[in-house]
Amino acid sequence: MSQITIADVSVGDTLPVMEKAATEAQLFLYSAASHNPHRIHYDREYAGVEGHADLLVHGPLQGSWLTQFLTDWAGPGGRLLNVNWQNRASAYPNEVVTFHGTVTAIDPDNGIVDLDVEERSPDGRVIMPGTARVSLPGGAA
Amino acid sequence: MSTSLIPQESLDRIGAVLAGPITVTIEQREAQRYAYAVGDENPVYFDEAAAQAAGYRTLTVPPTFVTHALVQPKSAEELRTDGLYRDGTGVRLEVSRMMFGGEEWDFLAPVCVGDQITATTRLAALDQKEGSKGPFVRQVRETTYVNQDGVEVARSRQIGIAR
Repeated sequence: MSQITIADVSVGDTLPVMEKAATEAQLFLYSAASHNPHRIHYDREYAGVEGHADLLVHGPLQGSWLTQFLTDWAGPGGRLLNVNWQNRASAYPNEVVTFHGTVTAIDPDNGIVDLDVEERSPDGRVIMPGTARVSLPGGAA
Repeated sequence: MSTSLIPQESLDRIGAVLAGPITVTIEQREAQRYAYAVGDENPVYFDEAAAQAAGYRTLTVPPTFVTHALVQPKSAEELRTDGLYRDGTGVRLEVSRMMFGGEEWDFLAPVCVGDQITATTRLAALDQKEGSKGPFVRQVRETTYVNQDGVEVARSRQIGIAR
């Protein structure tokens, strides 16, 4: 795998789109691995009682998908410095969500890249907008 | 304007420590279980040589894993109807449902397997807002994570939406 460097990046560049879809089994594994017993992630009937259309994909799981999207792009020599996201609408199991990113600013001396990022539902709605800051190798400083 | 969902005693806690400091060891198996559950099989989490080639002291862990490593074991007797634990550190609100609103993270230094991380959580903000489905409360909990060398490795702001 070749390592992206700061010289490879321009403002306006878009990142390779990443797709994710969580099965019920993955929701279960994530509940277990994150020690999260919240019923809306495994009890469909109870999720309905709370007004949800289906089981919900955990917000922090979508957050970790987002960090994966960024660290995959930054490569092993890159570092994720900052990320923030808003869980604006629900994501449901077995639907394909996509992650998108655009470079908004570059500090070439320090190898710093700022990005706008978002997760979209299958119908293209933004369900989780955010921003991120990544450092890449090759800064002059 | 609807009645307040935030009791005065909770407003008085803004800025106060809600939890910690607690110290945990970052365990390889827990971190790898987390990475597999996410579907993030980055070699720097699984392959010592790959982690070192990437500049880490040893295996590193998924960026936000550190917050999950801190969850304390509790009895199932403490579960509420919605499956969440009754939380002694919780802020009392006149609400029945808590939703995850988002997070903000600063990653300040690497976290590696074997690190001892000490976390302290403060109530950073508590605001009542009017939404399309009625009033809700936005709660921000800020956590600082410090390693065994006294280096602050991360800071998170977790946003909860309660109604």
